Amino acid sequence: MSGSKPDILWAPHHVDRFVVCDSELSLYHIESAVSSELKAGSLRLSEETTAMLLSINSDTPYMKCVAWYPKYDPECLLAVGQANGRVVLTSLGQDHNSKSKELIGKEFVPKHARQCNTLAWNPLDSNWLAAGLDKHRADFSVLIWDISSKYTPESAVATEKVRLSAGDTEAGLVVTKPLYELGQNDACLSLCWLPRDQKLLLAGMHRNLAIFDLRNTSQKMFVNTKAVQGVTVDPYFHDRVASFYEGQVAIWDLRKFEKPVLTLTEQPKPLTKVAWCPTRTGLLATLTRDSNIIRLYDMQHTPTPIGDETEPTIIERSVQPCDNYIASFAWHPTSQNRMVVVTPNRTMSDFTVFERISLAWSPVTSLMWACGRHLYECTEEGKASSLEKDIATKMRLRALSRYGLDTEQVWRNHLLAGNEDSQLKSLWYTLHFMKQYTEDMDQKLTGNKGSLVYAGIKSIVKSSLGTTESLRHRRSGSDRQADIIQYLSEERSLALQLCGWIKKGMDLDVEPFLNSLEQEGDWERAAAVALFNLDIRRAIQILNKGASSGKGDLNLNVVAMALSGYTDEKNSLWREMCSTLRLQLNNPYLCAMFAFLTSESGSYDGVLYENKVAVRDRVAFACKFLNDAQLNRFIEKLTNELKDAGNLEGILLTGLTKDGVDLMESYVDRTGDVQTASYCMLQGSPSDVLKDERVQYWIENYRNLLDAWRFWHKRAEFDIHRSKLDPSSKPLAQVFVSCNFCGKSISYSCSAIPHQGRGFSQYGVSGSPTKSKVTSCPGCRKPLPRCALCLINMGTPVSSCP
Amino acid sequence: MDLQILEHRVRVLSLARRGLWLYTHPLLKLLLLPRRSRCKFFSLTETPEDYTIMLDEEGFKELPPSEFMQVVDSTWLVLNVLSNGRSSTSSQAIGVTKIAKSVIAPLAEHNVSVLMLSTYQTDFILVREKDLPVVIHTLTGEFDIYKEVKGESIPVNCDDVSNGFLKPKHAASPTVHPVQSPRNRFCILTVAPDTLPAIATVLIDVLFYSHRFPSDLLLTSSSGELWRMVRIGGQPLGFDECGIVAQIAEPLADADISAYYISTFNFDHALVPEEGIDGIIELLQKRQESSS
Repeated sequence: MSGSKPDILWAPHHVDRFVVCDSELSLYHIESAVSSELKAGSLRLSEETTAMLLSINSDTPYMKCVAWYPKYDPECLLAVGQANGRVVLTSLGQDHNSKSKELIGKEFVPKHARQCNTLAWNPLDSNWLAAGLDKHRADFSVLIWDISSKYTPESAVATEKVRLSAGDTEAGLVVTKPLYELGQNDACLSLCWLPRDQKLLLAGMHRNLAIFDLRNTSQKMFVNTKAVQGVTVDPYFHDRVASFYEGQVAIWDLRKFEKPVLTLTEQPKPLTKVAWCPTRTGLLATLTRDSNIIRLYDMQHTPTPIGDETEPTIIERSVQPCDNYIASFAWHPTSQNRMVVVTPNRTMSDFTVFERISLAWSPVTSLMWACGRHLYECTEEGKASSLEKDIATKMRLRALSRYGLDTEQVWRNHLLAGNEDSQLKSLWYTLHFMKQYTEDMDQKLTGNKGSLVYAGIKSIVKSSLGTTESLRHRRSGSDRQADIIQYLSEERSLALQLCGWIKKGMDLDVEPFLNSLEQEGDWERAAAVALFNLDIRRAIQILNKGASSGKGDLNLNVVAMALSGYTDEKNSLWREMCSTLRLQLNNPYLCAMFAFLTSESGSYDGVLYENKVAVRDRVAFACKFLNDAQLNRFIEKLTNELKDAGNLEGILLTGLTKDGVDLMESYVDRTGDVQTASYCMLQGSPSDVLKDERVQYWIENYRNLLDAWRFWHKRAEFDIHRSKLDPSSKPLAQVFVSCNFCGKSISYSCSAIPHQGRGFSQYGVSGSPTKSKVTSCPGCRKPLPRCALCLINMGTPVSSCP
Repeated sequence: MDLQILEHRVRVLSLARRGLWLYTHPLLKLLLLPRRSRCKFFSLTETPEDYTIMLDEEGFKELPPSEFMQVVDSTWLVLNVLSNGRSSTSSQAIGVTKIAKSVIAPLAEHNVSVLMLSTYQTDFILVREKDLPVVIHTLTGEFDIYKEVKGESIPVNCDDVSNGFLKPKHAASPTVHPVQSPRNRFCILTVAPDTLPAIATVLIDVLFYSHRFPSDLLLTSSSGELWRMVRIGGQPLGFDECGIVAQIAEPLADADISAYYISTFNFDHALVPEEGIDGIIELLQKRQESSS
């Protein structure tokens, strides 16, 4: 202050007033600016607010510090500390008839003149005003004045004796006897009252921080430190105090006052002001000299640091309220995070510190974020169609419907998942076929393809190189002369099984499959499969059936007619029309059928790359009609495509191998569906994929998700399911029956420790070996407890040993 | 109570009045522009005989040696007593009186020569650097002793220094020095640092050119008391003799009279309240009679 550096203070009770003090006191009224025009005489503080100068008080020269009377007072009563140590009460009001009138102009004069460094009103007893002064060799530096005290005759005598002071004092308004005198032979640089008790005063003295207890002024608590400037109590945690020294802020806990609980990172320039935000817990604002930023420290996470070594986490931020250097700032007493700053040339700016936004997803699809005191929630809208639902909702519903837990009829899991997703359907059918095949293998113990099944068609096809026999075939029911080459091998028929076209063994009969498709009403697919098995008659029959069925499409008859017109002739009109018009067919299977019929032998791109045809059908088709090299190439290419797309149909090709995990990874990346990933990977039970850390990660995440939903039973079910399929995940036994004497487990050790000395039968109650029970501890041979009534030993059955 | 050993290493010197012209520039710089030099401790006392300067070694470097300057060989350390709020003394007396019994007398008994420098804010006791072990040993019972190192106060334990401690040689009863009190009246003042520029010209005027002093610029106690000086010593006192401060301070302390005490190159000076001057002179004369 003192002319050079203005300070700024908000009125504690008039939320729209503040005072700027340098060589004089200027009271401003802040108002919101509705229009863009400024009223005459008002200053713009921000886009929304302007300030109007209400009054100026220049009665008190040599101001060093100012403190606003804490009680409600319409006249804006202020205490001003002067360079000569005097404290003057002054006001900025115009109405001199107020009840605090007799206070205005009152002066409090220390015995020995020296600079007044700081003032602090007692927050509980507003008559008490503490003043901190510079050092005088034997005088006190902390004086507590009672502003209601009347002048005393002694002090009147003293005032008469003032010969060297300015002669402007009015008799009767000068008080020279403080209520309390503290800190003899020391200097006081900063003061604040502790809210814990009306009579506790914290002072930054020359080289220490001291807590004076006015109930016993000879006692004080103190700690030696250099950080004695600007002591201020956190308004939210009354034991937390900040003080500073040059560029460093120290935070103290008064309950553990020996050393600062933390010191904030040192700043290159000396600090000028440190203030806790009154509207937000744990937010400390600091200002350094010649700086245009205010540094904020958010100590939100550890309101009261406990323990010696825990350094609380602090979030440091900087805000720049204006472009110029800031001389001082003041938090608004009630308006949230708002402050007004003043620059050395007295331009002011109204500024609100924007709160950090924290955001959290709930495990049930809603999103929440908090900003200041506002909490926003964002939830899924209404009843969107189930396909558009968030994956979390889907997973939750699926978990409730026991999705993934059907280990007998594995394919049924897609029904549990809601029977909406064709990829899931394909996945679970694939897993079902794989499981079915391995079970058959187990029973028959024939061949060694069992290990290959879970490795997917890609590996199966690779292993079949060279074993393929080709078969020239005529399309039955047609008069076509040219043969179509079909390929056959053990592996190919295994692949066809996995695709679901044929049941088991070398039996190539697709009739059961066609029947099941007919039952489902999947006429086009059935017809296509029949055709691919070179049975045009059956295909036409299926189409007719489809057209005549209840919900059938009459167009199927037309297709059947077109089909029946099949001719082998290369240049026939039929061929020409079919190959062009097929592209206009909506149904991919119908389209593929005509592509097959019009293609040259050996080049079936129209079928193979018809993306809308299910992968399993295309793969089955390829297994039938492509030679080894073509097949390998096709499978390789398709696998990579599906892997990149994260298409679960690709599991058919990759199996539950590392490739499969890669595919699943891109699926999880795309959808976030860790549930399907976990269940799927668990199916490949003995394989290495479970050891893949990605798989473990999905499983752990799914378990966490179940925990987050509080689906404890579902989680238990999942864990049981998991331990069945993956024995390595079984948790270690946690409950044991232990011996009272030696503390060893009874059930566990009985088989581990060989019999020593006497056998069990010696302790057995009944000699019968069929009812054999362990009646003594296998570790120490002490008898197990007996029943209190019948005195028979309460043992454990021998058979329960692991 | 705490005794603080400040980090300043102080030299004491005397400037002859006629040589002042040579030193005006460095003195003004040290006095009015403390930020321009690294000197942290500076005291200038004008007596009719000379100017006594006490300043730390950084400041000492700024003064060119000349025939007008007399320097005491030894380096002095500054002690400061802090009450630390624990004093339960009801005495309102100020100045050397407060520490006469606890510091001055024990040091005198242990043959330690001291210089006193009272200021508005506090009393400094200067002791020779070589006497420090004795000082610490002597005062360790009464005070918590802190040494100031780079701005931090570090507690000093007696054990650290007692190895080199010499058993005090009990000096013969010190010479009793005559006292005299001129008629001048003194006023003790302090100046807030940031008001210094405003009064600098007046201060320079008073220090070096005239003997007028304006009455409305400086701050003093609200009671506006005035002080009289007692000069101790008929001939220059030297620096080796001990017990001089004690023989003045102790009787004043017994009578609970406040006093400022300023040692200079040649003589010692005590400032005592004007009201009691006659009684004090009488008291000190009595001391002279009782010992003679």
